[in-house]
Amino acid sequence: MSLPLMISGLAVRSPRGRILLELPALAAAPGALIGIRGASGAGKTTLLYALAGLLDRAEGSVRWGSTDVLALGSEGRARFRAGNIGMIFQDFMLFEELNAQDNAALTALFRPRAERAALRDRAKARLALLGLAEAEHRVTSFSGGERQRVAIARAMASEAPVLLADEPTASLDRGTADRLIDDLVALVRTQGTTLIAVSHDATLLERMDRVLTIAGGRLVSDEGGICA
Amino acid sequence: MRVIWDSLPGAAQDLALLIALLVPALITGLLVLRGYAPWPLLRGFLGRFRWSALLFVLLIAISTGMGIGLLAQERGLRRGTAQAADKFDLIVAAPGSELTALFASVFLQPSDMGLVSGNAFAEIAGHSEVEIAAPLAFGDSHGAAPVVGTTAEFLRHLSGNRVEGRLWHDHAEAVIGALVPLEIGEGFTPAHGIGDAAEPEAHGGAPDGDEVDHGQTDAHAHSHDHGGALTVVGRMAPTGSPWDRAILIPVEFVWEIHGLANGHAPEREAQIGPPFDAEYFPGTPAVVVRARALWANYALRSEFTRDGETMAFFPGAVLSGLYRVMGDVRQAMSLMALVTQGLVAASVLTGLFILTRLFRRQIALLRALGAPRRFVFATVWVFCAALLLCGALLGLLVGWGAAELLSRVVSARTDIAISALPGWTELHLLAGFVSLSMLLSLLPAAVVLRQPVVDGLRS
Repeated sequence: MSLPLMISGLAVRSPRGRILLELPALAAAPGALIGIRGASGAGKTTLLYALAGLLDRAEGSVRWGSTDVLALGSEGRARFRAGNIGMIFQDFMLFEELNAQDNAALTALFRPRAERAALRDRAKARLALLGLAEAEHRVTSFSGGERQRVAIARAMASEAPVLLADEPTASLDRGTADRLIDDLVALVRTQGTTLIAVSHDATLLERMDRVLTIAGGRLVSDEGGICA
Repeated sequence: MRVIWDSLPGAAQDLALLIALLVPALITGLLVLRGYAPWPLLRGFLGRFRWSALLFVLLIAISTGMGIGLLAQERGLRRGTAQAADKFDLIVAAPGSELTALFASVFLQPSDMGLVSGNAFAEIAGHSEVEIAAPLAFGDSHGAAPVVGTTAEFLRHLSGNRVEGRLWHDHAEAVIGALVPLEIGEGFTPAHGIGDAAEPEAHGGAPDGDEVDHGQTDAHAHSHDHGGALTVVGRMAPTGSPWDRAILIPVEFVWEIHGLANGHAPEREAQIGPPFDAEYFPGTPAVVVRARALWANYALRSEFTRDGETMAFFPGAVLSGLYRVMGDVRQAMSLMALVTQGLVAASVLTGLFILTRLFRRQIALLRALGAPRRFVFATVWVFCAALLLCGALLGLLVGWGAAELLSRVVSARTDIAISALPGWTELHLLAGFVSLSMLLSLLPAAVVLRQPVVDGLRS
């Protein structure tokens, strides 16, 4: 399934009413690789969370295909994420006491019973594809790069058409980050997944189709894309 | 419904009540976990926060265990005292406190009592409905063992005829209780008095302390034909009562050694046991009576309850009165146990609120990955429930151990055999606690859901 992105009139305010992010319009084609850069506090992660439907105080619309995630209730947004959005975080956010396989197949725990076995199989396959054969090992024994690969496998096990990544290489050394970028880009290209990655990593951003620059909560440049 | 309930055996009623008390927990669990199996996450949370979890489990285990242990101990003590009094159908003593007479004759607690006269004893012993009328003579001891003068009939009755060796054939022979540290064939000299006040040399034994000025020294010359020494000829089987630590001797010996007539006319001085001659009967603080038929006990009690002369009472009835008082205490204890459980549940609940904040980030992650609220709710609830269940089960073991330990301590001090295993009451208390706390665990689970996902991810 492919999901084009269409944002219009997106505004996110702090509890005191200060504008954190304002994005009048943005569109992205399915399967695009989009990088988001900007200084700390510019609103990059806020945009990512708005795209995932994680914010309760967002105005406007964030439409993935025909679904406006901001119009959904919290349970509807969770359901939408479960089926359509995979997420990767800077510090991996794995369950340290579980093994790689259980972490990668985490979402199987709350998916419909009929889908669970297939999701576990896909998680195992993604781990293998990402070079992690030791799926039965607890992730505490893994390096940073290996942990992020487990997180990627988790994000992609559900075959979500959209992958949102928040600084996926920030906790990794250069060599590990480069290898991870290669694998990540290859994987999303193969599967036709839309990748939107917040990053300061120039190497990662170079591999993106488009790079958005955010400053002061506003989109200030859109290299390689259409900025309205 | 009531008729059906009443027709059920006691164990079935207890089991039904236990199940009924656990039903809320089971229903809650089934409803909360329906369709989900968050066991890997439970394992993950328990592993990650193992020390906090362990502390919680121990807190719950100790508090529930103490409640269980105390309740079981109280019941064990009640049963033990009732069992100890089982062989004492009716006691006739000089008028005074029934409780004092009960403690002296059944539990061998030293006390000052008046004496039943020879005529009164003769009347009791000669009654057509009386099978056994055994005088008891207290006041002497050997080491920690009280020496009690009585008759062979009573000894047979008390021991259920289970005596290793033989009964006494001579005034200077003794049969010891199961726990007395003497051997058959060993000799000893009883001391006058009990405990710290005992005078070892008063009856001709070797002095082991200060010189004693005993008022009856001259009278003791009467007992010099056997030198005040006794030989152990038999050992009673355990009775589970303080009599296990007692030394039983012919009552005649006790009277003789105190310089009194020995209950028989001079021409029959060598006789042991009944019948006693009222004229030479020095008096006895208590007479243990066994009637030929159960109903006769009531008639005997009525007949021998006489102002200024004798009082007759059923030890069981006196104990029942005591239990009624203890029953109030027990109710207070049960109430305290419940209040304690409530306080523990409240503390645990507070702790769980705090603990659930520890995995706020993991919960936010689950929500970010698309987990439904009910799944997150189930995960938090099952974590809380697992801690509470483990604590409650461990509490049962702690209660068991506490009851066992207390039983040993109380048994060692009173010689009353106490078996204080947790029973249905304790299981019911525990089941109630489990159900209540499982319901209370819904609260932290619900509160976790109110936390904003983004705040959790950024925490």
